Amino acid sequence: MGCCVVDKEAELKRLMLRGLDGDPAAWRALLTEMRGALTPFFKRRLTGCEADAEDLVQDCLIAIHAKRATYDRSLPFTAWAYAIARYKLIDHFRRQGRRHDVPLEEASVLLADHTVEDGVVRRDLKKVLSILPLRQRRLIEDVRVGGFSLAEAAQRNGFTEGAAKVSVHRSMKTLVASVNPNED
Amino acid sequence: MKTEDLIDALAAGLEPAKPARPSPALLGAAAAAAVAAVALLLGVRPDLAQALQGPIPWLKGIYTAALAGTGIWLATRLGRPGVDPRPAAFALLAVVAVAVLWGLIEMSLTPPEQRMADWLGRTWTICGRNIVLVSAFAAPLVFLSARRLAPTRPTTAGLALGLATGGIAATAYGLLHCGEATAAFVATWYTLGVAAAGLIGAAVGRFALRW
Repeated sequence: MGCCVVDKEAELKRLMLRGLDGDPAAWRALLTEMRGALTPFFKRRLTGCEADAEDLVQDCLIAIHAKRATYDRSLPFTAWAYAIARYKLIDHFRRQGRRHDVPLEEASVLLADHTVEDGVVRRDLKKVLSILPLRQRRLIEDVRVGGFSLAEAAQRNGFTEGAAKVSVHRSMKTLVASVNPNED
Repeated sequence: MKTEDLIDALAAGLEPAKPARPSPALLGAAAAAAVAAVALLLGVRPDLAQALQGPIPWLKGIYTAALAGTGIWLATRLGRPGVDPRPAAFALLAVVAVAVLWGLIEMSLTPPEQRMADWLGRTWTICGRNIVLVSAFAAPLVFLSARRLAPTRPTTAGLALGLATGGIAATAYGLLHCGEATAAFVATWYTLGVAAAGLIGAAVGRFALRW
């Protein structure tokens, strides 16, 4: 689960950096991705007036565009985008004259349920993976979900490459067996 | 407007973007405005040429310029969403702490009967007021210099810009007009004047810095 967010962050940051250099295609892709992330983000936080979410998404996309120069290239993209989204939400409540507390969350909530389907798949995946011991689980998440090479994942989790290979193989066997209990 | 169309429109007109920072040209103009305000409203001290040969106006200037510099740094960090402003806030407080410490050491070396006179000088009742007055002329340019930033806490960013403005104003005031010479005086009354400018900046920023 955590590694999916890490992946997403890397992808968005890449698009952001290309956008800052003036690449319209990357910028279009980034704004489209952000639309997908911001819509559920605002809808979940605007209970009772979900209709405002679309306006807020547009407002936020314009802010991301107009204030893109305030992004510090050395920092995570998600933290920047989350701070803008939160500010726009607070500003929205203020303009409505409502005193509304917007708790400061981890920036990664912005990417948490990117789409509903994604969320369901991730929940299932989490459930399935939870039968593995923690260290094995982290390894397999890195290799099969996080997109790390076997060597990188082994190093991240303190395995030798050979041991990691065996561990992944065994884990896959356990997982397949748990999903298909009738198969021998 | 449909969101798809909005995204197309934004992407179509995309130009490369350099990192946003407060405009140095406008900050320079703010410093010039402060100098002009001191010269025209308060007057330049008659012994200016002689005074600037000694270290005291320059030491005062280093302190207040450091307040301006750390204030601008703080405003810049507050103006970048997701950036932690604390390093700049600590730097600003450290600058004040050094001045206060210097003032305390100086006072401890001053004969007790002389302390009150040194601390209050001759202008303690008007020092803060003058700094705020000069700030009023520099402030619009300082706030304008930050318009490319995106402060997610407009009140705090206004405080930082107000302190920066106060620092600029106090530098012009300390170099060109004010004849006070003790560290205790500067650490107290200059600091209070700059703090007042900061509080006014916070009240203004709450509305003026929204985006």
